[in-house]
Amino acid sequence: MTALLALEHVTKSYSGVRAVDDVSLAVARHGITGLIGPNGSGKSTTIDCLSGFQALDRGRVVLDGVEITGWAPHRIARAGLIRTFQTVRVYDALSVLDNLKLAAQQAAPGGWLDALLRTRRHGAADRAAAARARELLALIGLARHEAVPAAILSYGQKKLLALAAALMPRPKLVVLDEPVAGVNPTRIREVETVIRQLHAAGETFLIVEHNVDFIMNLCDRVIVFDQGRTLMDGTPAEVRKDPRVLEAYLGAGA
Amino acid sequence: MTIDPLYLVQLTLNGLVLGLLYALIAVGLSLIFGVLEIINFAHGEFLMLGAYAMTFMLPVVGLLYAPALLAAVLITALGGFLLFELFLSRLGQHDFERSILITIGLSIMLLHGTQYLVSATPRLVDTELGFDGVAIGDIRITWTRLIGGGLALAAFASLYGLLTRTPFGRAMRAIAQNREAALMVGIKPRTVARNAVVLSTALCGLAGAALAPIQLVQPIMGQFLIFKAFALVIIGGLGNLPGAIAAAVALGLFESWIGGFFEIIWQEAAVFLLMILVLLVRPNGLFGRAIVRAG
Amino acid sequence: MRRFAGVGAAACAVGAAALLPTVTQSNYLIGIAVSACLFTVAAASLNLVYGYTGLLSFAQLAFWGIGGYCAALTVATFGGNFWQGLLLAAGLNGALALAVGYPALRLNRHAFVIVSLSFALLANLIARDWTELTRGPLGIPGLPAPTLFGFAFRGTATFYYLALTYAMLALGLLYAIASSQIGVTLRAIKQNEILAQSQGISGLGYKLLAFTVGAVLTAVAGGIFVFHLTIVDPLILDFYYMQTFLIMVIIGGAGSFWGVVVAGVLMSALPELLRFSADLRMVLYGAILVAAVLVMPDGVAGWLRRRRVERLRAALQ
Repeated sequence: MTALLALEHVTKSYSGVRAVDDVSLAVARHGITGLIGPNGSGKSTTIDCLSGFQALDRGRVVLDGVEITGWAPHRIARAGLIRTFQTVRVYDALSVLDNLKLAAQQAAPGGWLDALLRTRRHGAADRAAAARARELLALIGLARHEAVPAAILSYGQKKLLALAAALMPRPKLVVLDEPVAGVNPTRIREVETVIRQLHAAGETFLIVEHNVDFIMNLCDRVIVFDQGRTLMDGTPAEVRKDPRVLEAYLGAGA
Repeated sequence: MTIDPLYLVQLTLNGLVLGLLYALIAVGLSLIFGVLEIINFAHGEFLMLGAYAMTFMLPVVGLLYAPALLAAVLITALGGFLLFELFLSRLGQHDFERSILITIGLSIMLLHGTQYLVSATPRLVDTELGFDGVAIGDIRITWTRLIGGGLALAAFASLYGLLTRTPFGRAMRAIAQNREAALMVGIKPRTVARNAVVLSTALCGLAGAALAPIQLVQPIMGQFLIFKAFALVIIGGLGNLPGAIAAAVALGLFESWIGGFFEIIWQEAAVFLLMILVLLVRPNGLFGRAIVRAG
Repeated sequence: MRRFAGVGAAACAVGAAALLPTVTQSNYLIGIAVSACLFTVAAASLNLVYGYTGLLSFAQLAFWGIGGYCAALTVATFGGNFWQGLLLAAGLNGALALAVGYPALRLNRHAFVIVSLSFALLANLIARDWTELTRGPLGIPGLPAPTLFGFAFRGTATFYYLALTYAMLALGLLYAIASSQIGVTLRAIKQNEILAQSQGISGLGYKLLAFTVGAVLTAVAGGIFVFHLTIVDPLILDFYYMQTFLIMVIIGGAGSFWGVVVAGVLMSALPELLRFSADLRMVLYGAILVAAVLVMPDGVAGWLRRRRVERLRAALQ
């Protein structure tokens, strides 16, 4: 079976420094793939490259058999790859419900005129989005807050909201950039449960995290980055035992 | 049609001087953008301020060029200091739109305040040098133009030295290139920003004072020139100083040549179209990204 | 419930506005009301572009003035009628908005602001210097009253109904956009364009839409306004108008539809209260702008909204 997402020989440099150096990797359908590595190992750059926010210097990105190299971010999102951000991004002045409905908008049928004239097609899409949003809100425990502006949510709640927003359009692949960074331990459990439930419902995840325990608990496959290259690619058990991984982490940390 | 080569040389010389003075304005605009990420819409009014300071100082100092010019530069520098301390220093890093609205409001206050106080009537400014000049054969250039061009060149040379050789200039470039890193090595952004604003407005005042004996002085003169200066910083690449200078000199020459043969409105339209064209083809300007580069 | 209250209040306001000429015979007061209608449309258009979408566009001034020239020239020079003039104003300015907006919106907001301001200044220069077409600083005086099926909108009170009808139509369209999913999307792009992109929303398309709609509505308002003045000259492109629209948007609250409409109506009376030297008036306007931006950046509506958010946050904890 072909991979859902494949990176082939991806390279990206910033002013002479190779942030990502000839990386090839594959994300399997219906899996939860983890991506870990020390600071500056190229994880974030890789995410930016595969979601179109950075142009590659070399290499290709293939999503579900379609080459998406060089596509604009919104086009990649429409093709079914949705990412979140390390620094939490929500629309502060919009209500929690509107935050979610917007996230599904581009996947819904109808254009500007439908929205302006509030046609039946637009109404149906709008109701479907609201229903999906309420499902997800129940899942992340924010159902009570659907009408409040997102600005008043706590940091952890915003992280959950961003996660739910990524799932609104039922993407082929969800890429989470540090979903639990700065989130308190109880909340981390919550995020873990939510991801497990969504995974059981058929979603595919690629998760970048610093929190190694979180990744090892959750993922069925883990890729380890070091200095812009793939150091290791295997099951959590294999990664745990690998001496190179220990060295990369301890070497960087000590 | 045959073109008299002497006429062409004359136009080129005039254009060169004009271009150098444009460059003083554009460089200041670009410097403020590079360091503060603010576009100073009141920049043209500082030019006007410099020109009027020159106009009013000249009779006081007995029409002597140098002391009047020095006073004009100091006055605009002081204006820049006030602009920063009273208004710009209150803005955060992401207050781009607010910075524009504030500088626009100030620009209008300065323009109409001046118009109210001294009337909108254009003035001719006389100096000790009068309209004398040097003549080489049939080519003639007035002293005021020659000195204006020379001052601009000297200003660029000092600016280059300042940005590359002094801690004060290096701090400015560091902030423009990487704000976070600059903060980490202990550069005070507030001081650097104030210095950049004072330096830019002083350059602008110098341009205004040097232009005063060359052109008519009127309150609206800043508005005429700021429009060109905006186009120049876009064409040169926002925050790119050599780019702005190159674009300014090119514009001065182009205007002088075109102005010698065509009507004035096509100059203005041509500048705007060129800006749009550059944006379409090279969104970061002809000379690259937004970094205060000294060379 | 709130929605019905809003519609009711709007209906009452329209009714009151329609009755104005029966209340007062003063051409002076009705003249101010004509300005109020057209200024409010221009301010509400700027609000769509700046308040909702976050694009600080000085090009609105150019559209206002070019719209005025289009309407006037069609009647005075091209041999058409008033309505064809408005059509030309709408069409030409829509096309200009696309031609200027596309290159300027593709990059960053810094460049967009500069281009939009340069465009406004250029329009002013052309109005003054292209004398063959615009007749230069003297302008085109003596614009006739518009007619429709033989009925002439002569006299201030009659003209007022024309301006009011246009204001209702234009504000209605702007409200429909602002309150629809499009309005929500525009606000989302303003708040966090990167997030919007990551959700498949193309910022450029929506920005061009807002910019072009704002241009067309402002241009037609400008076209009607010069027939109210009965003259078009380069003063129609004076920064005074831009500043008036900006102050209305900022005091009313950028991004608040009703805040800006109310501010537009109320503040149209302001110049009439300040009938001293035009230069001093501009200085005062500049000071109001600077003070409002420093003290009350989100306007009255923004201040109310912030209070509500604070109350909610307090209730949550």
